[in-house]
Amino acid sequence: MDGIITAGLIGVSLGAQYALLALGFTLIFGILGVVNFAHGGFYVLGGYLTYYFSASLGLPYALALLLAVLGSGLLGYLLETLILERVIKDSQSTLMVTLGFYLIMTTAFVVTFGPEAPQFPFPVTGVWRHGGVYFPYANLIVLMVSLLAIVFVYWLVYRTNVGRSLRAMSEERQVASALGMRTKTLFPFAFALATGLAGLTGGLVTPILSLTPHIGDPVLATSFLIVILGGLGSVTGATVAAFIVGMVEAYSAVYLGGSKGALALFLLVLVVLVVKPSGLMGKEARKA
Amino acid sequence: MTLSPTKSTFGSGQRFFSVHEWIALAVVLASFVIPFATTNPQILSLTNQILIAGTAALSVYIMLRMDLMSFAVPTFMALGGYTTALLGLRLGVTDAIVLGIASFVVPALVAIPLGALILRLKGVYFVLVTFVLTEILQLLLFELGPLTGGANGLVGMPAVTFFGIELSDLSQVLLTTCGLAFVGVLTTAVFTRRFRYEFAAIEKNDVLAESLGLACWRYKAVGFAIAAGVSGLAGFALVNMLLTAHPSSFSSFSSVNYITYTVVGGKGSILGSLLGAGLLVTASDFFALRGELSPGLFGILIIVVTLVAPDGLIGLVSRIVRKVFSTVIRHRRPVQQEACT
Repeated sequence: MDGIITAGLIGVSLGAQYALLALGFTLIFGILGVVNFAHGGFYVLGGYLTYYFSASLGLPYALALLLAVLGSGLLGYLLETLILERVIKDSQSTLMVTLGFYLIMTTAFVVTFGPEAPQFPFPVTGVWRHGGVYFPYANLIVLMVSLLAIVFVYWLVYRTNVGRSLRAMSEERQVASALGMRTKTLFPFAFALATGLAGLTGGLVTPILSLTPHIGDPVLATSFLIVILGGLGSVTGATVAAFIVGMVEAYSAVYLGGSKGALALFLLVLVVLVVKPSGLMGKEARKA
Repeated sequence: MTLSPTKSTFGSGQRFFSVHEWIALAVVLASFVIPFATTNPQILSLTNQILIAGTAALSVYIMLRMDLMSFAVPTFMALGGYTTALLGLRLGVTDAIVLGIASFVVPALVAIPLGALILRLKGVYFVLVTFVLTEILQLLLFELGPLTGGANGLVGMPAVTFFGIELSDLSQVLLTTCGLAFVGVLTTAVFTRRFRYEFAAIEKNDVLAESLGLACWRYKAVGFAIAAGVSGLAGFALVNMLLTAHPSSFSSFSSVNYITYTVVGGKGSILGSLLGAGLLVTASDFFALRGELSPGLFGILIIVVTLVAPDGLIGLVSRIVRKVFSTVIRHRRPVQQEACT
């Protein structure tokens, strides 16, 4: 019984991380119609920036994390305004550009920080225990921050004028801009928000898991998995799917072992794509 | 080169192959000379890699005829490669022709039911599902240990034979690759040219094509199967070159390479895939000492080509050729030109 609860807690904290990642990914798709192949890259960037600010410059972890989020957001902003905006209408071109950017980012990490994983432990150690249930404090902090960030995104998207404009533009860019919404500032802002979220996840999670230049590949695959499952472009879908994936991964790691859980998830996604391409929660989010 | 059929291309005098197909076939035929001309292992190995990469990139080219960006190339390469490895190990099949046919047919047969499921997806959804396929394949290769050798892969295949002659050393392996690449190029050329108008219609607007009476699903299904078969040939060649069938040869991100070759070379022409593979494989070989830099180079090239020259290098070259030709003609016939204006 205790084992089941422990695995469940791990699943929830995994789910919260995944939700953060997938929210950014799904926002970019929903609002800009861009499949961001560089999403995993921004996750890694967040990790390395946090590492750089905290380990090399000696800043406190929380401040380093904040700077990393700003840094990832800024780079995302620049990518959108300088490059993506030129080809924003053609989904194949945006895909190629973000893919190319991801390759450049990965190479830059290898060149700057080397291919080996740096020594970068989470600043808080120790384990919370209650009877037979164990939960590391690090995961607890990650869970709390992730949940706060998710609430923030929801508030931003559904309760503010910026969010309303973003949702309006995702429906119909031309009409929205005719009604006075500033696509030229809001699109880069949305992109920066999403990459900032990816950076936040990276800064939070890589000290617990691992930090190497190529860790973005599986992160990208997981983001794909979640947003397809939840419905591309759907914020709630991504959140729900993230927790499903987190739970399945946690329990299958404990009780099945190997990669059977992942295999089951991928097959589930394949079925979802074929049966209902718009995902579990999706309406027709956007014409692909 | 031009995909939108104009009046003149519909003319009865239209040849089956365009210049691009002839050049592609000639280039691959010419590569048969290399194993006889040199024993330099570096050149042999580089040619081998280029031909394999080019053949794999052809299947990206085929799928792009239908405006579908496929990441599933490594999936079908693995199917072809593992099929030949298993045939060699378990059944002792070594005949190059039998293995070649098997490496084409098995992926193609798998692609048909798979295509029935996923070909109804378009655009981004198709990209995502093919990407997911490569991930599933990796997991399957590990999970099906008794069949695929799991993380160890399959090793110790007997050497391929051609009419009883064993093809085992480096230059003979290259001969096998040349043969497979030639079959791949020929298949791609015949197939994409035979159905060029159908594909052009599907690429531009498949809903419209469908409403005009074109059974799009049929062409898409056959196209997907042929692309899978061509990938399978490349997979066979790769396994034959490396002497091992291993999951790492078919990683999901290797699909990015094949897409890069096709897009940078030029997605509108069969030559694009080959040129892209030739240049980029040589370039990454050139950077071998700083191997970690080559993804960055690929990344920069992808972005530059997407922004500046959407038709890739071939598009650039043919634009220049056309310009030169038109100026030559204008210089030759100044009188007629004036008369026209």
